Amino acid sequence: MTDRIARSRSGAPPEQAPLVVAQPVKTALALAAMNDAAARLGLRTGMALADAKAMYPTLAVADAGPEADRILLEAIADWCDRYTPLVGLDPPDGLILDITGCAHLFGGEAAFCADIVQRLGRQGLAARAAIADTVGCAWAVARFGANFSPPPQRAIACDRHEGTAVQTPSPRSPSGRSRPSTTGYGEGRGEGVPQAQTRGEAPSPGASRRPLPASGERWRMRHRSATCDCPAVAGRGKQASYAIVPPGGVREALLPLRLAALRIAPDIEAALGQAGLKCITDVIDRPRAPLAARFGADFIRRIDQAVGRDDEPITPRLPVPSYVAERRFAEPILLEADVLRTTELLAQELARMLERRGEGARRLQVALFRTDGKVHRSEVGTGAPLRDPARMRTLFAERLAAVGEACDPGFGFDVVRLSALATERCDPVQTGLAAPDHAAELAHLVDRLGARFGLRRVTRPVPQDSHIPEFAVAAVAAHCDRPRPFIPAQKPARKLSNDPHPLVLAEAGTQSFPQPGQSWVPGSAPVQETSISIRGSVSEGILRSDRIPAYERVKELPHPLIPADAGIQTLPNCTDVYGAKAGSPRPRGRAGGETRPSSVSFTGTCAGMSGDGDSFTSSPAEIQADSLCPPRPIRLFGRPEPIEAIAEVPDGPPVRFRWRRVLHQVAHAEGPERIAMEWWRDQNGRALTRDYFRVESREGVRVWLYREGLYGRELMEPRWFLHGLFA
Amino acid sequence: MPSALPGQTPSRSLRKGVGWGQVVATINPSRVSPWSAQEGSLRLGVPALDAALQGGLGLGALHEFAPASELQLGSAFGFGLAIAGLAAAGDRTRAAQVLCIATDYAALEAGAPYGLGLDGFGLSMDRLLILRVAHPRDALWAFEEALKCRALTAVLAELPEAGDAADLTATRRLSLAAQASGGLGLLLRHRPYPLPSAAMTRWQIAAALSQPDRFGGLGGPRFDLSLHRNRRGRCGRWIADWNHDERNFVPQALSLGMAAAAHDRPDRAQPLRRTA
Repeated sequence: MTDRIARSRSGAPPEQAPLVVAQPVKTALALAAMNDAAARLGLRTGMALADAKAMYPTLAVADAGPEADRILLEAIADWCDRYTPLVGLDPPDGLILDITGCAHLFGGEAAFCADIVQRLGRQGLAARAAIADTVGCAWAVARFGANFSPPPQRAIACDRHEGTAVQTPSPRSPSGRSRPSTTGYGEGRGEGVPQAQTRGEAPSPGASRRPLPASGERWRMRHRSATCDCPAVAGRGKQASYAIVPPGGVREALLPLRLAALRIAPDIEAALGQAGLKCITDVIDRPRAPLAARFGADFIRRIDQAVGRDDEPITPRLPVPSYVAERRFAEPILLEADVLRTTELLAQELARMLERRGEGARRLQVALFRTDGKVHRSEVGTGAPLRDPARMRTLFAERLAAVGEACDPGFGFDVVRLSALATERCDPVQTGLAAPDHAAELAHLVDRLGARFGLRRVTRPVPQDSHIPEFAVAAVAAHCDRPRPFIPAQKPARKLSNDPHPLVLAEAGTQSFPQPGQSWVPGSAPVQETSISIRGSVSEGILRSDRIPAYERVKELPHPLIPADAGIQTLPNCTDVYGAKAGSPRPRGRAGGETRPSSVSFTGTCAGMSGDGDSFTSSPAEIQADSLCPPRPIRLFGRPEPIEAIAEVPDGPPVRFRWRRVLHQVAHAEGPERIAMEWWRDQNGRALTRDYFRVESREGVRVWLYREGLYGRELMEPRWFLHGLFA
Repeated sequence: MPSALPGQTPSRSLRKGVGWGQVVATINPSRVSPWSAQEGSLRLGVPALDAALQGGLGLGALHEFAPASELQLGSAFGFGLAIAGLAAAGDRTRAAQVLCIATDYAALEAGAPYGLGLDGFGLSMDRLLILRVAHPRDALWAFEEALKCRALTAVLAELPEAGDAADLTATRRLSLAAQASGGLGLLLRHRPYPLPSAAMTRWQIAAALSQPDRFGGLGGPRFDLSLHRNRRGRCGRWIADWNHDERNFVPQALSLGMAAAAHDRPDRAQPLRRTA
């Protein structure tokens, strides 16, 4: 914490000034962290701020920022990606790295640890690193290891799975050679004062080790200023900033440590302390059953994890890419051209790897590690498995151009890494000599546009199973493999028994529709109208003629898109619908909440109604054929624009309307096409039915208007909106 | 004046009296500039229009559209769609895909292309790609990139307002890109752009009152097409219907007052006939 605060201040670090971080505990402010200067004054973590201020009135106090700490920790974890892709967080102040097979790339474990600690130190962060076979051991050594001169707090455990390890204590490890190891680092600088000596509690059993601090001290901050007071200790700062437990030495490393090193709760530690058990050596060989009975299985599990009897996986922060190629530079690179050139070289490596496995990349990421620890990642997606290095380079060129200034090279990038986050099988394709491959070219264009503007901006319209105009078409990202229409997964639970009139056809003003076997008088429609469940296939001609019965009209005017027998097939359903409306018993085929969730009605009559039970699984072709029939505008406003309209009768078509302050006289109007809202999505039942009209003004402007709310039933003053433009 | 070209309406020669002045006499096809020697042309199906365009709308070129007034945007967009649909339907060599580019502001101001309505213009949803960008500059960049792509049949980009970003330089770039790849570039401005542009043709589109269909409902779209600039030939004004079923243009007679009525002129004097 104090490192973060010191980093946020410009200028020279305040070496000597004591600084404490206070955070509210219960109702008072208590010290959460402090730097070394403050620690030397005798302050302790957990002490009330009022006491500290009483002792040292000039003490500088900063507020705790857990959120800022978390962000900093994540940034450090991001940066640690340069060492291993498996970086796990150990909040609030630790990181766990799985470095199996990584250390030799940095010249061995010692050099690895030194590199981490040194680089973090340059960033103004004091760290402790420990490498061990198990996460638990590395965690313990990083925080409580006695060969660190001051007791480390805020240790960041870097866990190492050392592939070359000789032995592993973990019987569960399938390979038998994996060696999880942990490096810890924290904000406490390695070169600190041997504070423990001044406190002198809990002497370590190891003769060569320094005494350990009291339990209350273990989270205290160290700062580099401590070295000034204690030059002798500062002299061995390098060696004290990390610890390496040799392979197989987990048990020996753990034995002298305090019980808190087992990652157990403080109350368990206190209870064990009352029983005289203070070090791990006191408990590690004790009979397990009494310990488990007294302190819980978790305590035993922690011991097992520490010594490697129990497996402890690391949860990586980021997904581990399948293929990685990276390049490191002794001199950081600054120019965009260099970055792109490097990317292409890496892409060639990656392409070779992908080709060997017969795969292509669907998602690629370039991570640029800046020398000062910031990591810039840019990601591109592709529509088809990609292996071509030149195309990969083009995509990243677009991406970097789109990112622009946000990718600030600062003092340069010293690591460039290209990884394939998602891959797919990519079989070799026989290319023709003459005919260019248009599909591939189009896919590449989509990828480039997506890299530049974001993949969600290149879309394809896909019909959906909804009759509400704004939901009837969804924009699906074009790079998706094969867009499929969205089918609602859950069927609506509809209580038909409570709903006497679930199916209502819209009545159209004064027109009457003679139906087979039933005469329907307009105005007799029930007030409570929930949904209109008709999958209509209506040709334009049918919509407008109101004298001919539906079945005859269908026969007379076969729409090219409707099968010739559609009208005849649906005649019984028509009767069902009207029968249900008039209060006759509901046909069994519709019972049980199986009604298709489409809600539309037409002014005229509808042919092609279907009341089948499993109509949720309608095919895309059905949906499309369904939506083809009523004319739809070519442009739709995302938010319908309110207009003022005047109609002769309250539910008639408008005579004139005013849109954007221009008055239009209506020359022709066609409608209404009634679209009811989907009751199962409408939580509070407020959604109003819409009556749509196609309207042509005297200038020839054709627009799509609707009146929201049924006059007299839903609203007394329905409002008008303009929803779309026709050609 | 040479005789009327085959397929032209007889009323064409009357157009000299119409007020906008760009109507010129018929150009002899043998003397037409090399622009007419383009390999590909898209026949629009209106004979008079095709004749003015020397066989059809030039492929591998940029064409500009603007609505006559902002309320007519639907018509202008519909005409662009119709051309793109015709091009896609006649395309045998490419993937028959059409890309629509629009800025966010344009979509907010005038609505976004609605997939269900485009089918009548021959653009089914699987033929259509839609790109939304934030800035006109980005739209032009994407327009040029898309024109270079040989897989796309037509690219329809729309710019809000007058589309000032697409100035002479930008349209020249776009024209060159279209020429190189043979693609069809359609630029839709939301308002007429008064400054010069490098487009091959520039149109102003207005909606005309449609003919009610046989049931008394709304008829198909009817366009009032004004060709304001034409590198291949003369300009003019035509009225055409779009038939959603056949997916073609149907020429209509231009029912306008062609010549000013002679109010204060005496009737032609009768030749004096001497009577013996």
